[in-house]
Amino acid sequence: MKMGMVIDLEKCIGCRSCMVACKQHNAQPPQTWWNRVFTPGSHRHLTPPAKGVEFFLPVHCQHCENAPCEKVCPVEATYKAEDGAVLIDYERCIGCRYCMSSCPYGVRQFNWEDPEKAHARSEYQEKYHYGYPEEHRHQGRLVYSPLRPKGIVEKCTFCAQYRDRGELPACVRGCPGKARFVGDLDDPDSDVSRMITSRNAFTLLPEKGTKPTVFYLPPKAKEV
Amino acid sequence: MTQKMRTGMVISGALLLVAVAAWIYQLQEGLILTNMQNSYSWGLYISGLAFFVGNAAGGLVLTSSIYLFGVKKLKPLARLGALTAFANVTAAMLIVLPDIGKPVRLYNMLLHPNWMSPLVWDVIVLNLYAVAAAVYLYILMLPELTGRLGWLAIRVNDPHAFSERWARRIAPVALLFAIGIHVVTAWIFSTQGARDWWFSPVMAPDFVSVAIAVGTTVVLLAAALAYGTGEQYQEAYRTLGLIIFMATCVHLFLMANDLVIHAWYGNTETHRIMEIAWGDFGLAHLFEVAAPLLGAWLLTRPQVLGSLPRLLTGSALLIAGVFVHRFLIMPASYNNIPMTLTPFGLPGNHWSLPIASGRLLPGTGTFLDHYAYFPSLVEITILLGIMAYAVFLVLLAIARLPILARENR
Repeated sequence: MKMGMVIDLEKCIGCRSCMVACKQHNAQPPQTWWNRVFTPGSHRHLTPPAKGVEFFLPVHCQHCENAPCEKVCPVEATYKAEDGAVLIDYERCIGCRYCMSSCPYGVRQFNWEDPEKAHARSEYQEKYHYGYPEEHRHQGRLVYSPLRPKGIVEKCTFCAQYRDRGELPACVRGCPGKARFVGDLDDPDSDVSRMITSRNAFTLLPEKGTKPTVFYLPPKAKEV
Repeated sequence: MTQKMRTGMVISGALLLVAVAAWIYQLQEGLILTNMQNSYSWGLYISGLAFFVGNAAGGLVLTSSIYLFGVKKLKPLARLGALTAFANVTAAMLIVLPDIGKPVRLYNMLLHPNWMSPLVWDVIVLNLYAVAAAVYLYILMLPELTGRLGWLAIRVNDPHAFSERWARRIAPVALLFAIGIHVVTAWIFSTQGARDWWFSPVMAPDFVSVAIAVGTTVVLLAAALAYGTGEQYQEAYRTLGLIIFMATCVHLFLMANDLVIHAWYGNTETHRIMEIAWGDFGLAHLFEVAAPLLGAWLLTRPQVLGSLPRLLTGSALLIAGVFVHRFLIMPASYNNIPMTLTPFGLPGNHWSLPIASGRLLPGTGTFLDHYAYFPSLVEITILLGIMAYAVFLVLLAIARLPILARENR
């Protein structure tokens, strides 16, 4: 089993529901976004960079097979789960941020201060906490906690806390356009494998040799 | 101990204490006290690592000159070289600590080292070099560890012959570790395929050349301050000056070589790098080229080597230029977002995906594709404190141990 995700850019309407679902479900601190949706070519989201040209690009951890972040981590805090998802052990990470530098996709986020203080600094409502309420361990290692330890790196886990119960990641479930799919890349008959071969799927920055397991289907027509 | 040394120790000791206080404050509050953020994730501290690693090369130059190339006239400076090497390589390791988000977890490096990580290699080789420099210094001091310091000496029949024999044996090993610290520190950057500014095979040899230039300058500076600029030292100083000048030229050649190749091909990534390195930081780039070149040239002049103020000026120019060079490791990498693509239907467009800052930055949005980094007061204080640590350690050792030639103590 090698898990992979397919994002159909033809179906993505740029609503950022996945961004918000991801942020909320995973209790991300203020200014931390595991998942970003932007309008390529434009400095303003949902604004066409040129007449008749517009599509939207959601980017989060690409769960690379040849993940630079995993290779540079000095303490093996970043590791691969058995299905290929790249996870971070919140109890092991020393916060050197080498992985953030080495990731070409800019998906890794650091906890520059205690999350409670960050909430107060961003004037979040007092004692308001959102997100999956319990710690989650995968293979015995802490890969999610509602309040992050100060000084560690975090990023998309493909929602390890949900997948370990057989549920889909929050971004997949929260997508109103049903643009996201998760499946087994090892199985040539899985939906994701068939979409990849039949729809000219591409990966981001293939020249970096990271071998992402997140694939994108090109938009067929431009939204005007 | 002279009055000047005492003053130097008081000032550097006080600065070190202030830096320790600043670090404790940063441990409490988090790295929010620095001016780094997610898209600019390394700053002054890691530039400091590269700077101190370079400064530590003095020991390598002297040891290999004396024992591998037979330049006997440098022998009186050997202990000073080993001492500045030890002070700077330990400073390099210390400056990494405040950059670590969870320093109490560093034991994980011993329990769960990832052998693929160049950072693990660097920690190993920096420690080995520190040990080698300390052992080498001890061996060189051994014949003079008598009287008050006699308890420090190991019992050997002929300390002079023992010292000479073992110094010769350790020299090649120390040389290996010495080159290792520059190469591996460069690899931390140059293995990052995500960053076009760093992903270059020239970075490791360039680190070696910068280190030979600046490390030798540190020894020359320390020697001039300790021994003065008397006639009996001029021959040794001229040799050091020549090494500094040649290494500086090699460094500038390697740097220019890399830039010319990239600029000539002129792809978009390179344009962006050049805009930052030669545009945003044009003046700093001018300084990183001109200051070391001028400093190194001055240090080849007999009239400069014969006058303490002039020698200090030349050394200061070179060291300051190399420091700026180390600072400039970061901007052209972090202000050049790797996740850049040409959108469908817009072949001439190169668009970068903004990165979430991870911290509230008043006056800017959450998502950034450019960030004007300048270190915070806490970062500057801690860096100055680590510099002060190196100075303090050198002064303390000179005051207490037989570092200098007998007649100068």
